[in-house]
Amino acid sequence: MRGESNWEPKLIGFLCRWCSYAGADLAGTSRMKYPPNLKIVRVPCSSRVDVLFILKALQMGFDGVLVSGCHPGECHYQTGNYYARRRLAIIKKFLEYLGIAPERVQASWVSASEGGKFAEVVAKMTEEIRELGPNRLFADEK
Amino acid sequence: MKSSSVEQKLRQEAGELLSSGKVEYIIGFERGSSKFTTTPLITRDKGDASRLVIDPFISVNLARFLTELKGRVGIVAKGCDSRSIVALIQDKKVIRENLVILGVPCSGIIDLSKLERLTERDREEIQSITCNGEKASVDSGGRKVELPLNDVLSDSCLECEFPTPQEYDILLGEPRAGTPRAARGKIEELEALSPEERWHFWEKEFSRCIRCYACRNSCPACFCPRCFVEESEPQWIAALPRWQENLIFQVIRSIHLAGRCVDCGACERACPANIPLRSLVRKIYDVVDDLYHFKAGTDKGSTPLLAHYESTDPGDFIR
Repeated sequence: MRGESNWEPKLIGFLCRWCSYAGADLAGTSRMKYPPNLKIVRVPCSSRVDVLFILKALQMGFDGVLVSGCHPGECHYQTGNYYARRRLAIIKKFLEYLGIAPERVQASWVSASEGGKFAEVVAKMTEEIRELGPNRLFADEK
Repeated sequence: MKSSSVEQKLRQEAGELLSSGKVEYIIGFERGSSKFTTTPLITRDKGDASRLVIDPFISVNLARFLTELKGRVGIVAKGCDSRSIVALIQDKKVIRENLVILGVPCSGIIDLSKLERLTERDREEIQSITCNGEKASVDSGGRKVELPLNDVLSDSCLECEFPTPQEYDILLGEPRAGTPRAARGKIEELEALSPEERWHFWEKEFSRCIRCYACRNSCPACFCPRCFVEESEPQWIAALPRWQENLIFQVIRSIHLAGRCVDCGACERACPANIPLRSLVRKIYDVVDDLYHFKAGTDKGSTPLLAHYESTDPGDFIR
C-alpha cells in the first residue's frame, strides 16, 4: 500500500507526435518548469488512443490519464482529432457514470508551438489529481 | 397451442420464399425444449416453415446470426432485431439486397421470472400464458390470474422506442407505437448515488461475473472476428475472472457498442449471473443520443457513429 504522506500523483499522457509531443519538447527546451509527475507515451495521433489504454492505465495504478492532440482543423492527418473528440466525449461521460472522477481522464489540444500551454495543462492536472488523492479504483481493498 | 394469424402468415411467406428460391435460408424462431421458451431456427428446408412461431417469448436477437450466413437470407425481425440489422448494414457487415426481412410489430417479450414472482408459481406449474391487449392471463391448474401486461414484460420492452420494425420487406401485423425516451428506473437510481457508491455497485455486480461471454455471444453488434479479450499480445484482459478484469471487459464492450446498441436487452437476458448489463449499454445509448442525436439502427443510409464527425461536435471538455 502506498504511504499517503509522501504520495505523489502519477500521471500518464498520450501525446500526439505532431503537436502535443513537440509542445512538451518545446516546454523542455525553453526551460519551463512544470511538475515531473507525467509519464509521456508518444502516439501517432490522438485518435490512436483506444479506450483500453485509458482503462488499463487506471488499472495499473496511474492516478490520471491525459490525452492531448492537435487543435481542431490542425490534424496532421486532416481529421484524426475530430474522430478522437467524438470518442473521448462518449468515454468521459461513460466513465463518469461508472463512478470514475472526471478529473482522472482529461483531454487537451496543445500545438507544437504551445510549450507554455502544455506546462500549464500538466501543472493544473497534477494539482487537481493531488487534491483528488490516489487512484484506488481497481484496488481490492479500498 | 393455437397459432395466430401472424404466425400463419409468417409460415406461408417463409415457405414461399424458400420454395421460390428467393432466399437460401430462413432465420426465425421455433418452440424451445423447455416450457415458454423459443429457440432460433435456421433452415433451408421449406418443410420447416411450419415450425416457425411468433409469441411473447421470442427473446433472442436474430440479427446475431446474419454475419455467420452467406447468400440470401430471410429473417424474422422484431423492432429491435430490425434496428440491429440496420446497424449491421451501416457497418457494411451485411448487404441489404441479400436480405428479405419479415418484420413483426412486437408487443413485448415476457420476462418469465417477473411472471413467476407475481403469480407465486414456478414456470413448471403454469399451464398457459395468453396475452390479450394490455393483459396477460396466466392459467396455473385451476387458478387463473390476470396481470397487466406491463408488469410482466422485459424491462427493455417497457422502454422500447421502436416496437415496429424500422426496415422490412414484408410486415406481419399492424404497426405499433413506441414509448418516447424518458428518464428511467435503474439508470436514474444509479445517477442519484455518489461516484464512490456507483463504482462500488459495479464492483459488487462484476464480482459475480464468470466471464462466460454469453452477453457478447448473444449480441448482434459484437461482430469483431477476434475479440480483444482473446488477444494474447498484448494481453489486455487476464483470463482470471476477477472483478477488475470483468468490469474492464464489459466497459470496453459497451463503448464498442456506441451507435450500434439498440437496447434489445439480449445481453441482460443471456447473463447467468443476472448482472444489470442494460444499465451499462443503455447508458451508452442515451449518451450517444444526447451528444449526437444518433439513434442506432434507424437510418440505413447514415455512416456509423464513430466513423463520422461534425466540426461542430461538442468539445467543451477539452482544455
